[in-house]
Amino acid sequence: MIALAVIVVPILFAVVTGLAGSRRRAALGFGLFSTLATFVLALFLPGSSGISTPWIPGIGVTFTLSPTGAGSVLTIVAALTMIPTVLMAARRVERDPGAFVALLLLMQGALAGIFLARDLVLFYVSWEAALIPSMLMLGTFGRDKRRAAVLKYLVYAIGGSFLMLISILAIKPLSGAASYRFTDLMAATPHLAGATQVWLFIGLAIGMAVKLPLWPLHSWLIDFNEQNHPSGAADVAGTLYKVGGFGFFAWAMPLLPVAVNRVGPVLLGLAVATALYGAIAAAAQTDMKRLLAYASLSHMGIVGVGIFGLHLAGLNGAIFLLAAQMLSTGGMFLVSGMLYERKGSFDLDRYGGLAKSAPALAALSLFVLFTFIGVPGLANFPGEFLSLLGAYQHHPWAAAFATLSVIGAGVYGVNLYQRLYQGEEREASFDVGALEVFALIPLIAGILWLGIFPSPQLSRIQTQSQLIATPTASATAEAPAALAAAPARAGGATDLLGSTGVPGEGPVAPDAPLGGSR
Amino acid sequence: MSFPPAIAIHWGNFGPELAVLITAAVTTLFALFQKNSRSTAWLAMLGAFVAAALNAALFVRERASGAGSSFGLRFLADTPSLTLNFVILLGTVLAILLSYDYLQRSDLDHPEYYPLILFSATGAMVMAASGDLITLLLGLEIMSLPVYVLSAWRQGARESEEAGMKYFLLGAFGSAILIYGAALTYGATGSFVYADIISAVTAPGFAAPLLLTLGGALVLVGLAFKAAIAPFHQWAPDVYTGAPTSVTAFMSVVVKTAAFAALVRIAATIYPGMEPWLMTTLAVLVGLTLVVGNLAALLQTGVKRMLAYSAVAHAGYLGLAVLAGPHGVRAVAWYLAAYTLMNVGAFAVLMLISDANDHGDELERFAGLGRRRPALAFAMTLFMLSLGGIPPLAGFMGKILVFQAAIASGYTVLAVIGILTSVVALVYYFRVITYMYFREPEYETPAYRSSAAQVAIWAAALGTVLMGLLPGWWYGLVSSGQELLARL
Repeated sequence: MIALAVIVVPILFAVVTGLAGSRRRAALGFGLFSTLATFVLALFLPGSSGISTPWIPGIGVTFTLSPTGAGSVLTIVAALTMIPTVLMAARRVERDPGAFVALLLLMQGALAGIFLARDLVLFYVSWEAALIPSMLMLGTFGRDKRRAAVLKYLVYAIGGSFLMLISILAIKPLSGAASYRFTDLMAATPHLAGATQVWLFIGLAIGMAVKLPLWPLHSWLIDFNEQNHPSGAADVAGTLYKVGGFGFFAWAMPLLPVAVNRVGPVLLGLAVATALYGAIAAAAQTDMKRLLAYASLSHMGIVGVGIFGLHLAGLNGAIFLLAAQMLSTGGMFLVSGMLYERKGSFDLDRYGGLAKSAPALAALSLFVLFTFIGVPGLANFPGEFLSLLGAYQHHPWAAAFATLSVIGAGVYGVNLYQRLYQGEEREASFDVGALEVFALIPLIAGILWLGIFPSPQLSRIQTQSQLIATPTASATAEAPAALAAAPARAGGATDLLGSTGVPGEGPVAPDAPLGGSR
Repeated sequence: MSFPPAIAIHWGNFGPELAVLITAAVTTLFALFQKNSRSTAWLAMLGAFVAAALNAALFVRERASGAGSSFGLRFLADTPSLTLNFVILLGTVLAILLSYDYLQRSDLDHPEYYPLILFSATGAMVMAASGDLITLLLGLEIMSLPVYVLSAWRQGARESEEAGMKYFLLGAFGSAILIYGAALTYGATGSFVYADIISAVTAPGFAAPLLLTLGGALVLVGLAFKAAIAPFHQWAPDVYTGAPTSVTAFMSVVVKTAAFAALVRIAATIYPGMEPWLMTTLAVLVGLTLVVGNLAALLQTGVKRMLAYSAVAHAGYLGLAVLAGPHGVRAVAWYLAAYTLMNVGAFAVLMLISDANDHGDELERFAGLGRRRPALAFAMTLFMLSLGGIPPLAGFMGKILVFQAAIASGYTVLAVIGILTSVVALVYYFRVITYMYFREPEYETPAYRSSAAQVAIWAAALGTVLMGLLPGWWYGLVSSGQELLARL
């Protein structure tokens, strides 16, 4: 039932906030209460019971939510990220903050639906439902060129997701599954003929690649971030909405293993390209938001590398990175909003020397930035490291190229910090206010929590990774702990995972009894 | 051919139709003594509710003791006809609510308006219940004649008169083709009754003559006229645009419901026994409808005309389920209910925004509506998203059902065309949303208010959301009981 509450509570509060009109106080109160309550509820997700009832009985659509596995981790972290986002939105949006907060809350409910759904149609419903609030946020509250950005966003998102819908609708009749529930599909779809699987997979993959996003379907993201409201709150919601990697991980790949074997290497190549392209492009930006957009694109490339590497460690790491970047990328976007508050621009040329008049802000943003570029001990690092490590097991060259993006991260990270905070200060600014401190504290707490104690989350993720990764990698009980400790003894980690002995062939045998591993 | 020993009438089976018919007659007389039409509107609505109650009683009876039929399987009270009666009555009540203030505002207030609506609804219900080509034809004519008059309701306005004339001429043409088809079918099988036609064509040794195929094809064309399936949709945009908006709303849902009720019953019963190319032809027409309807809607600048083409496009989506034959009946019934809610809702919002003479429906009118009338803009957003098939609204669930039916029956390519054209559809539905929220108003626009229309809008909005979130409830109703009586 908690799984349902995590979806319904934000949506109900979105309605209440929307009805309350444009009063700022109401938006702040309802928004904060809803996000805090949802976060507390989400903490109880692991261990709670799921739901499964018929939804449209005639065609096998069910309302199935499961609070286990990777979805619960992402829901918790997303719920945490939403707290400062709503706080900033309620205070910083000039016109109609109530509507903005309502849209954020709607988005949160839909995102929880994406992460917790264990019925393919319900998953799609949530996936599309989240699009509407994000589109309205961009179109209503965005900056001058928002209309073009909305158009681009919609064309990519809807074009992709409708292709996905074709595959979703076809997958049940073609496989003869009893329903759209994940367990029922898993019993049938892996036995589909190879060519059928490939076609179905391509449909799903295009929709998910847009939302990963994967080069060359990424270009909406840059305009999306550049044109969104300067507070950065909408960008955080957009960051949480990068659910393509999760879609591959939770649906497309376990359901269609043969297709994964055939198409996986192509996707891995695209992911490597995304990681490198994002990092290089980020280093060349002079606009803060575009820089962050490209940098986060690079991170999503690494998520892709981890997922399409098809190795247990990489899969765990990719989803972990997906969770961690909610906090770090989200944090960076909120910082960008705070900086905009001071200078009224995202142009990096207009910044410089801010550390003199705003030292506390500089320190806080340096912390988030360190996480963002993957400094060890902070949230992003275990995810990035394991993603690359996992990919290295089967595809060493791909991993090697992708690792170059980490160097790029150092370049754009240092560049960003220097241009913002060091050098000559042109005009004095002010240091962090109480609002900004309160906004950043939950994020920093979350970053430390994930960075220092990654293993509980990794072991939750692993319950699902095992469905995709090499069956022999069905890890022992201590494997998660080993993964957590991986940074410390990277050399030995491969032995502990016990899966590297598999020949370089695609790791998933078509006839492997995947259903049995659940 | 075999008549039952004595023709059993079973008056109860057409209680709902009788209730609407009697109300229509009484309202006609009553209207003579009224200054304006408001009291007749209430009376008409009362009649519709009585009919709905009778229909519900029939529904309960049908669940308890099986479907009923009158005149020896010529008039059926089975699950499809009873559920579609609900849809027709829903569309009628919503159209009455829309008209309540609009008629005064637009200076269209004549006493015969509501009785004509009711007569038309009677015909629609008869069509939904028809188990016989003659009953079908009777229903079609009873439904159509009042709508021809209503289309030309705005006297002196060229568009409206042109709409009425065009609709009448093409409608008469369509009916004639349907009659010809019925006659040929009779010639080939010796009966008008679907059940007898089925037993004739499935009898061993029956070689389907050309006559039968031709008959089936002509019946299809006749119904395609009413259902606005391309290339027989040409009248629809002009008639929908020219008719008063409340009439357009009524036509776009009730006439469409009746046409598809008849079409799906025929496709599920007698077509499977005929030449296979008949269904192939229908499949081609459906594909054409999807493409033509959506592409043409994309090119419109007036919202009313855009909605007219969107109605054509939705005929294509319904056609996907019709192709599925017996498996598509439930999807059609479900989709029509969702379509009724979202389409009437969209027309209702349009009506409150455009001028009294129905001009001023261009997209610029919607600019800045999100700030000027947030509630109305929100409702319109819901309708547009639902028409576009965005979850979790009713239109999406409807699309899932029709695509699922089409794919399960092997029409995968058509389903793919349907989904691809849905992307096109989203462009023109989203255009309305972008104008409402992302643009500032360019000029001051009139703001009409009508509490009756508000009731219709919010009922439709609530229905659109609830059907999307809880699709199983209505699906349970449309799939309870026997599938189709005439297949027995």
